[in-house]
Amino acid sequence: MTSEPLLVADQLTKSFGPTTALERASVQIMAGEVVAVMGPSGSGKSTLLHCLAGIVAPDSGQVRYQGRDIGAMSDTARSALRRGEFGFVFQFGQLVPELTCLENVALPLRLNRLGRRAAERRAAEWLARLEVSEVAGKRPGEISGGQGQRVAVARALVTAPKVIFADEPTGALDSLNGERVMRLLTDAARQTGAAVVLVTHEARVAAYSDREVVVRDGRTRGMELAA
Amino acid sequence: MSDLLLGARMAFSGGRDGWARAVLTAFGVGIGVALLLLAAAVPATLQARQARGDARYDFRLGEQLPAAANTLLVSTFDTEFRDRPVRGRILRPEGPQAPLPPGVAALPRAGEVVVSPALKKLLDSPDRDLFAPRLGHPEVIGTIGPQGLAGPHELAFYLGSDTLTIDGSHRTDVFGGGPPGEEFGPTLILLVVIIFVVLLLPIAVFLGAAVRFGGEPRERRLAALRLVGADRRMTHRIAAGEAMVGALLGIVVGGLLFAIGRQLVPLVTLWNISVYADDVRPSPPIVALIVVAVPVTAVVVSLIALRRVAIEPLGVTRRAASTRRRLWWRLIPPVIGLVLLAPLVNGVSAVGAVYTRYQVAAGAVLLLIGAVTLLPWLIDLLVRRLGGGPVAWQLAIRRLQLDSATSARLVSGIAVAVAGTIGLQMLFAGVQRQYTTETGEDTTRATSHVQLFNIPDGSAAIRQLLAVPGVTGGTGTLWAGIVRDGSSPDQASAGFLRIGDCPALAEYAELDRCVDGDVFRSLGPPDGGPSVDAFGPGTQVAVGERETPWTLPADTRTVPARASPIGWQRSEILATPGAIEAGRIGPLSVDTYLDFDRDDADTLERLRNTAAQLSRSSWVGTLSGTTQADRLTTIQRGLYIGIVVTLLLIGVSMLVGLLEQLRERRRLLAMLVAVGTRRATLAWSVFWQTVVPVLIGLTVAVGFGLALGSVLLRMVNMPISVSWPVIGMSTGLAAAAVLLVTGLGLPALWRLMRPAGLRTE
Repeated sequence: MTSEPLLVADQLTKSFGPTTALERASVQIMAGEVVAVMGPSGSGKSTLLHCLAGIVAPDSGQVRYQGRDIGAMSDTARSALRRGEFGFVFQFGQLVPELTCLENVALPLRLNRLGRRAAERRAAEWLARLEVSEVAGKRPGEISGGQGQRVAVARALVTAPKVIFADEPTGALDSLNGERVMRLLTDAARQTGAAVVLVTHEARVAAYSDREVVVRDGRTRGMELAA
Repeated sequence: MSDLLLGARMAFSGGRDGWARAVLTAFGVGIGVALLLLAAAVPATLQARQARGDARYDFRLGEQLPAAANTLLVSTFDTEFRDRPVRGRILRPEGPQAPLPPGVAALPRAGEVVVSPALKKLLDSPDRDLFAPRLGHPEVIGTIGPQGLAGPHELAFYLGSDTLTIDGSHRTDVFGGGPPGEEFGPTLILLVVIIFVVLLLPIAVFLGAAVRFGGEPRERRLAALRLVGADRRMTHRIAAGEAMVGALLGIVVGGLLFAIGRQLVPLVTLWNISVYADDVRPSPPIVALIVVAVPVTAVVVSLIALRRVAIEPLGVTRRAASTRRRLWWRLIPPVIGLVLLAPLVNGVSAVGAVYTRYQVAAGAVLLLIGAVTLLPWLIDLLVRRLGGGPVAWQLAIRRLQLDSATSARLVSGIAVAVAGTIGLQMLFAGVQRQYTTETGEDTTRATSHVQLFNIPDGSAAIRQLLAVPGVTGGTGTLWAGIVRDGSSPDQASAGFLRIGDCPALAEYAELDRCVDGDVFRSLGPPDGGPSVDAFGPGTQVAVGERETPWTLPADTRTVPARASPIGWQRSEILATPGAIEAGRIGPLSVDTYLDFDRDDADTLERLRNTAAQLSRSSWVGTLSGTTQADRLTTIQRGLYIGIVVTLLLIGVSMLVGLLEQLRERRRLLAMLVAVGTRRATLAWSVFWQTVVPVLIGLTVAVGFGLALGSVLLRMVNMPISVSWPVIGMSTGLAAAAVLLVTGLGLPALWRLMRPAGLRTE
């Protein structure tokens, strides 16, 4: 782990209409660490994750990735960053229903212009690592929720990202499947050296992290950015 | 009933999403309803136009009326302006009770004119100098009201006169009572029947598609109701209630769209036809039928759609997702259609019979429905075999493989319209030969023919016409009737004398040699007018109205007649100016053939002005190789208008369908963007997803169109021929509509692709 933070959120404020989702929230993520962002429903956890990933622009404050201000990047550059450096796992609705699981996992590689065969070969490897090889040819609608989340984790990891953003990745799973997904996700991340930003409200899930950041009423606690 | 009401409430539940879904459904159904109302209004609209045309009819058949206090002399002064017909009448009242034409408050006096609002606009525009001179710059004293016009954009005028006489005019004491219209022959009836089928079937197909908007969320809601205890029958009743409310709302929206469209109708002129808003009135029984049939259709379609899914408490599964579509029943409609049309293949002489009309309509409908039933099967079959390609292509093809029915529904409307258009165009191409007559006009020899009657100084008139700016050349002759001296003007002793220089006379006869002073007897075919047998050399004749005596010179030569540029070939005496002094004959008529650039529309208008100033009873026409029967032209125009309107509205419906699809997938789109998917990739995926079914649909449409066209051509005993440019145009027009829809859908796609769409709280 280097001393320079990989990803920094500094004094982020974000409102949706009259609702303030984030208020001067700050956090920093070091390379390779697993950080759990915790808090009750509506506290601003997901908004913080979306801001960190460059999905949503904050009203004020700054997000820096490897020292570069994400807010100053063009939309194209941000998309390229998400495609190449970041991986995502969401709670639901993340797999493209019309593609097979293998094609879903290969999708980020193909978006990065990798040929179909090479992309699908690498996707198959990741499906095997996530122990879901048997669903490669099936569509998301034909597999279980736990299998779907493991496919989603494979998809998030297939590009060897520097940061994985996971928003309630086990929210729709039973405890057994949840445990399995979290173990596979954190193990794979540690093996590849990827940092994980894990949004959850479950202490059981947060236990897989190296440290926790609590968000309440849009403010972060537990790990304020050092001046 | 409580289930139905619950369904009705659910149509609007779900906050903004629920409302958006309801609005999309209502709009989709509304477009269909508006189109149906428009179609239902066509007969009344045509009837109203016809009624107003009859009301201003000014010609009285039978014995001529004597002049009286209630009579009016009317002379036809129709003209054209930039290819738009101008209806003109010169009026001279013969007493204080002379009748007023409909829509006219007071008869114009000499130097006054009453004009239609459209002509008033023209006279107030910079183009006035290209039209006003032919009326003699009269004072406009009023405008013609709607009851005296065929449509709001019709160019028409009533010009006052104090010099009009019964010669060259007719007398009337009442306006109204038009002549019986030109009858539609069996072939034309066939055309009209098929046109209605072609225009209305896509609308029905789209209504079926529109009532399914929001199907997926509806099924999810029904699953949630199953979870809390609703049984299958209850869910069906709830679905029926929801569909019915969407359809009823659609009827209201359709009524509103129709009312708005009706107000906009007067702003549009297509092929010189304009219509008043008040004329567009759908017949009440058809309105009642629409109001009942649309909700019933919506309910039936929804219930049929639900048969393909199993709604269980924990979610929805599609029963037919993995089973292939069956072909056999999809072939039934086109086969029955062909069976119905087959007996008529050797001719439809009895098509006027009601039974045959229904047989043709049913056959054509079933054949075209075949395109609708076969299309989903074909799209399914072909899309299953596609694969590979870049990400955008893969996303589109996989989406189609998962659910091609939605695309097929949206495309089938276009396919039917195109198939019908191709079939009709083939029939038109064949029938055109039957109804198009060769004019015999030779467009290589002249651009325009100007005819003036009984002009005091014809030679000066010819010079004036040749001097009109833009005219590059031409010839002119003077002509009058002749009678052999001392004879009564019967067939044997009456004829025509034409005076002109040698080049001008060469347009009427094969002159081997000609010098000024020569006279010729031009011999035409037996049906080429009065014979010149009675006019041998040395014959004394009386020329023109003043019966000016003249003797044919002894060296008069006989020459064969030549068809003039307008195709007339007749026997007459031709004289050069050196042989007869035209100035002493009195009023003569004038024929001029003029050359100018056909694309220079202003020259033609200036010619019309000059001709009208020289003689009110002038004729100015451009030469054309062929002419079509008016009825055929009207039907063809009707088809073009209908197809353009149908394609436009289908395009709008497709756009609504596309927006609905995008809206349902907005979370997925947002997720794809969140993981870094390029916008262009998603745009291309939407493009391919639209284009692939459309290409398959158009291929099917061409096949069915050719089949329909071939059958129709055989029915009117025409050889089968294919006009590929027409097919290219029809498919191109449809393809353009699809591209336009995709283009218009892109802004919504950009909006829905915002990563912020991931936010759920």
